[in-house]
Amino acid sequence: MDLFALLAVVLTPKILGTVFLCTLYGAFVGAMPGLTATMAVALLVPFTWFMDPVQAAAAIVATTTTAIFAGDISGAVLKIPGTPASAAYVEDSYRLSQSGHPRSTLYSALFASVVGGVIGVTILMFATPTLTYLSRNFSSDEAFWLAALGLSCAVLVGGPSVPRNFASLFIGLAIATVGIDVAVGHPRFTFGNVELYDGVSFIPAMIGMFALSELLRNAVGGRQSSRLRLSVEPLRQALVTAARQFGALWKNVLRSATGGTFIGALPGAGADVAAWIAYAVSRRFSRKPEAYGRGHIEGVVDGGAANNAAVAGAWTPALVFGIPGDSVTAIAIGVLMMKGLTPGPDVLNTDSAMVYAIFGSFLLANLMMLVTGGLVVAMATQVLRVPRAVLMPIILILAMLGGYAISGSTLAIWIILVLGLLASAMLWADIPLAPAILGIVLGRIVEDNFMVSMLKARGDLTEFFARDIAAVLGAITLTIWAILLYRALRSFIAPAKPQDNPDTTRDTSDR
Amino acid sequence: MSLKRDLVVGAALTALAIFMIWQSQGFPRIRAMPYGPDLFPRIIAGGLILAAIGIVIEGLRNARRGEATLSADTSTLPAHTAALSFVAVAALVAGFALLLPVLGFHIAAALVVVLAVPIFGGSLLLALIMGAVVPVVLHYIFYSLMRVVLPWGLLTPIAW
Repeated sequence: MDLFALLAVVLTPKILGTVFLCTLYGAFVGAMPGLTATMAVALLVPFTWFMDPVQAAAAIVATTTTAIFAGDISGAVLKIPGTPASAAYVEDSYRLSQSGHPRSTLYSALFASVVGGVIGVTILMFATPTLTYLSRNFSSDEAFWLAALGLSCAVLVGGPSVPRNFASLFIGLAIATVGIDVAVGHPRFTFGNVELYDGVSFIPAMIGMFALSELLRNAVGGRQSSRLRLSVEPLRQALVTAARQFGALWKNVLRSATGGTFIGALPGAGADVAAWIAYAVSRRFSRKPEAYGRGHIEGVVDGGAANNAAVAGAWTPALVFGIPGDSVTAIAIGVLMMKGLTPGPDVLNTDSAMVYAIFGSFLLANLMMLVTGGLVVAMATQVLRVPRAVLMPIILILAMLGGYAISGSTLAIWIILVLGLLASAMLWADIPLAPAILGIVLGRIVEDNFMVSMLKARGDLTEFFARDIAAVLGAITLTIWAILLYRALRSFIAPAKPQDNPDTTRDTSDR
Repeated sequence: MSLKRDLVVGAALTALAIFMIWQSQGFPRIRAMPYGPDLFPRIIAGGLILAAIGIVIEGLRNARRGEATLSADTSTLPAHTAALSFVAVAALVAGFALLLPVLGFHIAAALVVVLAVPIFGGSLLLALIMGAVVPVVLHYIFYSLMRVVLPWGLLTPIAW
């Protein structure tokens, strides 16, 4: 792809201005709890009516990129992941900011996101033709294996206790079964509530599990923790620390960004799955895997790089088939189709100006995010100086209104309450929350694709290995499951030596 | 303490699994479909039971080794005050869900904030100030800026 042609499309005052405003807008909306990247783009749609196609593409791309990063901000500051993509490492980023490093954490995440995004779009530019070929052969078989593989990450993202991780994962999967089933359209576990037919929506579920459980814990903590006024580092020092952290972890960023792009490019697997997998892989290869989930910067950097890279990657199936990788891209591609873009294998020839504009704005938006995102981080971390008695009620009302705003139904608030209580019980029982979230995200995908494949194969399970790509993915998945099972059994038969997992008896729920 | 907790957790997970299996008995099957809507709930229920067994075994083993889990109770408040705060926050959420459509978001939000500030250790004066300020700010951010549709409830006659 011609870099100069690409830059010529976007380096005009109008596009530069649009991208600047939209990165600022995306950063603010993404940083608001309950207002997701999806919502940021949705709110932008009316304005795109008055823009020409290239400008509209630039606006949407810039908003998406920054909103996905800005989701980290409310995650770190309030423990409410702004977008599902930030959920994987919210535990780490929140604890880091609680221990007095909100700014350096977020600046590290910002640097990782920027570099991740740039790597993502670079790969997107050069690999779109190849990926086109690969994903042309994608069916429900492959999607099933990919989601099943994603589920195995539960063991990696959770705590030290294997049965507790599994308990959490299955609780999440159980929540995912609520709603109309895909096989025959029968309502399951809806207790006669018609609104539950669509299932438990993800945003209220996440707000309940992370934010409300934290509020409840704080309420129980009483006045005691109000003395723990949080310190915020000076801006200069935060930037220096972040730069140093980033410098030490550049290999992680490279790995996660590359992986994230490819995961994002697979249909159905968006930025959130990319972040989970990158976090899990990062923990696997880290020298300090035990520090994950307790405020460790490595996972934050890995996840941050991967989800922004995946945002770029998600455009591949969107451009090539009109099948978006995630919900944000779904809205974006819808708008661009109204602007005359025709997704298809020939998109690079037929709509080259628009595609160039998309790639170019991605590059531009990621670079501008350094400034606008940095500005929002500097402002948002001031929130931590606010006393608890002021902050907590505001979080409570924002969490509930944010959940309500998604669907316009009070059911969202009930979901927040029920899952908040569930999460509190899980924390009491020392069961980690992250695998449950993974189960809620992937449960439906696994079941839907399983049923579609079985309908095609008339119930023949061997059909899952009948296709080349599916067979490879299936073999990898089953191998990983076998290893996990073997290790779980071994640790049960021969009791773990103290140095094997020193943390079994430590309380992971507490800060 | 730790073993008792693990037994409670195991029992709760098993109860959830039994409930899922019992419910899925009633799910319809169609001849054309090789697997029905009951398949995944049953697999998940099986997984829950296995996890429950694992947690109980883990608890037994820890108990035998005499390693007690750290008590999760780090609160400095008396137990009943802590429990009261917990219930109060949960009740606020439930109350908000019930009253939002009736009262409208301005009044409901003001009520929640006024009641929540004392729970988190603030003074009554602070509660009243925040009760007055927060709804205005919310109105501006959610309603004016973001154009999120929020119910006006009692204030519908003066809605704009």
